[in-house]
Amino acid sequence: MKLLIVEDEAKTADYLRDGLAEQGWAVDVARDGTTGLHLARELDYDVIVLDVMLPGMDGFAVLRELRLRKQTPVIMLTARDRIDDRVHGLGAGADDYLVKPFSFIELLARLQALVRRGRQQEPTELQIGDLQINLLARRAFRDATRLDLTGKEFALLALLAQRRGQILSKTVIAAQVWDINFDSHTNVVEVAIKRLRAKIDGPFRNKLLHTVRGMGYVLEAREGDEDDDAPVAGRTSA
Amino acid sequence: MKRVRDLSIAQRLAAMFALAALLVFALVGVALYHVLQTQIVRYQHAELATKLRYVVGSVALCESRERWLKVEDKVQNLISSDRSTKVWAWSSNPDYRIGDGEPTISAATSRRDLGMGRLLLPGAEYPYRTLQEQVPALGNRPAVRVSVAIDSKPYVSALRWFTLIMLALGVCGIGLVALLGHWIARVGLRPLQRLSNEAQTLSPSNLSQRLQPAQLPPELGRLTGTFNGALDRLEAAYTRLDAFNADVAHELRTPLTNLMGQTQVALSRPREAAQLEDVLQSNLEELERMRDIINDMLFLSRAGQGDIALDRVCVPLAEEVAKTGEFLEYLLEEAGMQLRIDGAVDAWIDTSLFRRAMTNLLHNAVQHATPGSEIVVELRGGDAAHSDCGSGARVAVRNHGAGVPPQHLARMFDRFYRVDAAREHRGERHHGLGLSIVKAIASLHGGTVFADSREGRTTVGFSLATPQPHSPA
Repeated sequence: MKLLIVEDEAKTADYLRDGLAEQGWAVDVARDGTTGLHLARELDYDVIVLDVMLPGMDGFAVLRELRLRKQTPVIMLTARDRIDDRVHGLGAGADDYLVKPFSFIELLARLQALVRRGRQQEPTELQIGDLQINLLARRAFRDATRLDLTGKEFALLALLAQRRGQILSKTVIAAQVWDINFDSHTNVVEVAIKRLRAKIDGPFRNKLLHTVRGMGYVLEAREGDEDDDAPVAGRTSA
Repeated sequence: MKRVRDLSIAQRLAAMFALAALLVFALVGVALYHVLQTQIVRYQHAELATKLRYVVGSVALCESRERWLKVEDKVQNLISSDRSTKVWAWSSNPDYRIGDGEPTISAATSRRDLGMGRLLLPGAEYPYRTLQEQVPALGNRPAVRVSVAIDSKPYVSALRWFTLIMLALGVCGIGLVALLGHWIARVGLRPLQRLSNEAQTLSPSNLSQRLQPAQLPPELGRLTGTFNGALDRLEAAYTRLDAFNADVAHELRTPLTNLMGQTQVALSRPREAAQLEDVLQSNLEELERMRDIINDMLFLSRAGQGDIALDRVCVPLAEEVAKTGEFLEYLLEEAGMQLRIDGAVDAWIDTSLFRRAMTNLLHNAVQHATPGSEIVVELRGGDAAHSDCGSGARVAVRNHGAGVPPQHLARMFDRFYRVDAAREHRGERHHGLGLSIVKAIASLHGGTVFADSREGRTTVGFSLATPQPHSPA
């Protein structure tokens, strides 16, 4: 997976490059709009992260020029989050829009969503370790034991399973499962995860649902499980 | 040239006084002139009439040439005693004529048989006033027309003098009125000057300073009262802002202190990777706390400026409340509480903002209610129990618990306000902006917030107005 970061703020560009490289992305960095546009035109990237405030040529201009020739997916980054900015960005051909300060895993989730968008239909059967999930029948088994899940619990499990190996923040979970698109400052997601964990991991030796403190939650089969076919999502799809 | 709006009040008043004086003097002058003129004409007429009667009386008795000579003598006496008087007699017989009855004079005097006429004699400066009468024939004497004329020079020059003096007096009077007016206005405006001096001494260092209305005339007293009212409001706003800044500083400094302190401690000696990881994770939590505060503050500030676009749709509120209830279901369950939705009403709302407000209200209720109790969300239409999006709505969340002391009710919606500063909700990210956000969302929907607490029953809620036709719906 090849990715271009166009960002003039050195610290931001560096941590994004390091973080994304660790997640298995091949990352190029451009420090200004002109270089960014040149790279984006000459090379083929899977997705581009584009800052709005750039020296010389701003993000909107880069995007306009790029769209004349290429349809590479673009996520725009900005510290300004007024509605008209957002409309402007999306109107100029951006595929997504992220407001600073954004969380790194949020960016990761959006990048993966953008890359996934172009792929074939999602499978309806998922297997993580000995956990089997049938999305159509809305049933989950572990070691042939049927798990007794409520509707919300199943929705939560399905979300985590579809993005297995990927850390999901509480904000993303609240938005996807409950359609709550703001920071609610409640511990609803913690409680929901606690309940789900009790049902899918409680009686079993291998734990699948993991907490990444301060970041979110991830569903994956870790060491000692011979059926581990799902490392970090970024690497599998590379 | 000074423009009118650059003039001082005293100058304006002086100019207006002068204008008024001009008008009064002009009116009085014109009236006096007119009266004087009428009087002069009447006086001239009386004099002419007396003289005419004297001549006509002699002529009327004359029936022969001999008597006519006596009449001529009488006339001669009259003329010589008063040089400004002229007398003519005209008849068909040249023997019975007096004065050089040139045809012009005759024509001029004969134009009017009765009443006064005017006659400009050659070489005279002013016209003569004339009066004539026809004396019927007697004996040998034919009918005679007698004309008497007096010089109007004294009258005209008197009238001229009068006009000149009136004009001079008028100009002086107007000037005097303007000067006096200016002085009076300055004296009258002295309290304003005092007030202005007093206002200049107001300084931002002493916000409780006010103007003294006691020594001022009533008009300025009212102005001072109004101005002091504005100062009161400014002081209150300033004090609120000051307290708000202190709150923001406190709320942001606490996580900053933690971040700096923990990081410094961690770096002060070599650490195990696991210990550093702990520090990083704790730092992340503090950073998230700061981000939350900043985001909420930005939301409030933009809502205050009306900078948030509403995407309003007409929906049944009960459904939206139920969705929020579903989100908070686990929290309710853990506290053993039930959520009951009472009433049904449709309203124009931005669903995302409405859910945010409901989440804050319900979360607040869950935190303060007695475990095992019931939380009731009461939905009412603006003017009917069931309405079709046309009458606004009222959403009230009621819970049973310790209740809120009355002195806190009004301030519950203030930013960073906490009923009990010492109370901390364990495990909750709570920074005292939740109800402020409810208030901001309500006012974005043209509504207000309310709170009530008695006998352990606390009701907190907000109203929603129907959008005006021109606003985005």
